[in-house]
Amino acid sequence: MAEVFVLKVENLKITLNDTEIIRGIDLTVNKGEFVGIIGPNGAGKTTLLKSLNGIYRGSGDIFINGAHIRNMGTREIARNVSLMHQNTEITFPFTALEVVMTGRYPYLKGIRGETARDYAIARRYMEYTGISKLEDKPVTQMSGGERQRVLFAKTLAQEAGIILLDEPASNLDIAYAEQIFRLSESLCREGKTVIAAVHDLKIAARYCTRLVLMKDGLVVADGAPSEVITADNLSRAYNVRAIVYKNRITGELDYYLQQPMKKNGTYKVHVIGGGGSASGIIRFLADRGCEISGGVFPHGDSDLNCAEIFGAETVSCKPFMEIDDESYSRNVALIREASMTILCNMPFGRLNIRNLEAAAHATRLVIIEDDRPETRDYTNGEALKLYNTLKGNAITITSAQLHEIL
Amino acid sequence: MSHKAKRRSRIIILAMLAALGFLIVAATAIGSVNVPLAETFNIILKQFGITQGEYPNERIIIYVRLPRVILAAIVGAALSMSGVVMQGMFRNPMADPGILGVSSGAGVGAVTAIALGLTIRSIFFLPLFSSVGSLVAAFIIFVLSARDGKISVVNLVLCGMAVSMFLGSLTTMILSFFRSDHVKQFILWTSGSLSNTMWEDVRLIIIPVAICGLAFMFLSKELNVMLLGEEEAQSVGLNIGRTRKLLLALTSIITASAVSVSGTISFVGLIVPHMLRIIVGPDHRTLLPASAVGGAVFLVFCDLVGRTVIPMHEINVGVVTSLLGAPYFIYLLNRARKYGKIF
Repeated sequence: MAEVFVLKVENLKITLNDTEIIRGIDLTVNKGEFVGIIGPNGAGKTTLLKSLNGIYRGSGDIFINGAHIRNMGTREIARNVSLMHQNTEITFPFTALEVVMTGRYPYLKGIRGETARDYAIARRYMEYTGISKLEDKPVTQMSGGERQRVLFAKTLAQEAGIILLDEPASNLDIAYAEQIFRLSESLCREGKTVIAAVHDLKIAARYCTRLVLMKDGLVVADGAPSEVITADNLSRAYNVRAIVYKNRITGELDYYLQQPMKKNGTYKVHVIGGGGSASGIIRFLADRGCEISGGVFPHGDSDLNCAEIFGAETVSCKPFMEIDDESYSRNVALIREASMTILCNMPFGRLNIRNLEAAAHATRLVIIEDDRPETRDYTNGEALKLYNTLKGNAITITSAQLHEIL
Repeated sequence: MSHKAKRRSRIIILAMLAALGFLIVAATAIGSVNVPLAETFNIILKQFGITQGEYPNERIIIYVRLPRVILAAIVGAALSMSGVVMQGMFRNPMADPGILGVSSGAGVGAVTAIALGLTIRSIFFLPLFSSVGSLVAAFIIFVLSARDGKISVVNLVLCGMAVSMFLGSLTTMILSFFRSDHVKQFILWTSGSLSNTMWEDVRLIIIPVAICGLAFMFLSKELNVMLLGEEEAQSVGLNIGRTRKLLLALTSIITASAVSVSGTISFVGLIVPHMLRIIVGPDHRTLLPASAVGGAVFLVFCDLVGRTVIPMHEINVGVVTSLLGAPYFIYLLNRARKYGKIF
């Protein structure tokens, strides 16, 4: 696909109220891209968007479809770039149709008013955003969501090739938020270019083809969502401890913000689990900044996935087979290194019974017992015998009591 | 705007024009000497060469009443159109032509003309000086509130208030050097009066008011777009800086024209646009002509009331508009307080 650039920004610097908000940005956007501008509050996302349609002027160059923005009049810019502002307050009772029609202003000639064609275009975009029925309703009587969709229709009625959206979903419920992104996505497929400043990283990762991460007036990362949303980038930009992973159920990029690190010193904990019993425990330990190891998990186990996401050292074995000797030894080694071993509320069968044997090597053993072990024994009593032996030298608690131990 | 609404607005405007016509005739007829309507009508038509004959009250009608009534109509139209534009520019339904300090500038000009004794020499001096005064005031306010070529509405209002207060004090100071009859003249002027109106006054302001009024109507589209907000307006292609400067200049001129012949008349620019916006809607293409006619009707009516309500005594038109306007203004504020908004 030939890449045609519609927007080119070179060394853009914008100063507002004696503060340099944009400190040197280079950006090239090609036709059909759906670009998400993400970043913390104050990064300069709104300022960047308002520079792209000429509201803010600074130093540097902006080219719109090849022409320099300085050589373009306001009407010409409006025919090429439209911007939906974040919070538009309309205090006068214009009807929805009248508001959408203001989007046709850049095309009105002289004293002549709007033509039938302008009305047809406005109505078409009102249908597209699902507000046709609100045509004669005054915007002052509308809900925030309805008003936002009216403003979106107005932005589209400008029929500009480049559509800028500033927090388009800020007043919308989850259904309409998804709708606006889906509409933007299909507009891009039809050849428009959309650049949206977004707060919600998940929805941005889901719909945008490209993300630009900003912080303090500079671009920190630029690329595909999976390249930009990384634990490293999130920590640098938002000052948070995060883990980023692919949600296996939804297939989408997801992230989890961890509690800020408590100054604990690294406390090594080994987790024995499987079948989902260990995930909550691992998350709890990770939040407290412990150094986590786990095993033996069979390949594909959800606890193994969780442990890997949190960066734990893991021992895994082939699925649907008994634990092999090598895995067993490595597991025991990790258990010996750890200051504490947690045996989770897991089912015991012939395939993982060796985990119970390994638990005997623990320096300090904590057994999580939420359900009676008899209900979890699938070995006709063999596992139960090992379990009760372990209990003699261990602390037995429920998962709710875990915070008392650590 | 839907066809139904457009047609309805057109009918309303035509109805108001008819009412204005009738009111002008009636207001010309009624007064300290009540001239029969038929005679009044004939006298007026005689000016157009449609009728002939000798009429006993011709002099009163032609030289005293008619110019006054016509001037009231023109001033009413000017002030309400100015109000519409102010409310559009400031995106605030409570804005009023006085907000820009134009009235206080006119006051200084008027006071200077009176102090220099120029008003006796020619009646043109008062309107001239007050127009210059209001334009200078508007210019100062404009320059003071601009920063980086951009003017925020808040700055404009604050500067307007500051300059108004300063000019008001200046006016008072000059007044303190006045002779008592000059002071009386000034007070008459500040409370808004149409007495002693002559055809010269009408001739003086009819052209600037007509030109500014027409210019406003040509800028209706722009005014509509400006109501979205300044940055939003620019996003749809409006050159906000240029448009705002133009509108401010036109408003200053039209307000100064009105103020220079009649003094400061309050509330017309606030109430009339407001009431008509509720009737015909906020689209400036209908609101401006409707407000012009509505303002004319309102002021002719107020002047009539002022002349006739107490026999042998004239209440200044500015007093009448304040007496009618202030309660309505309070009602609006109350509504805003109760419902959180005015519409």
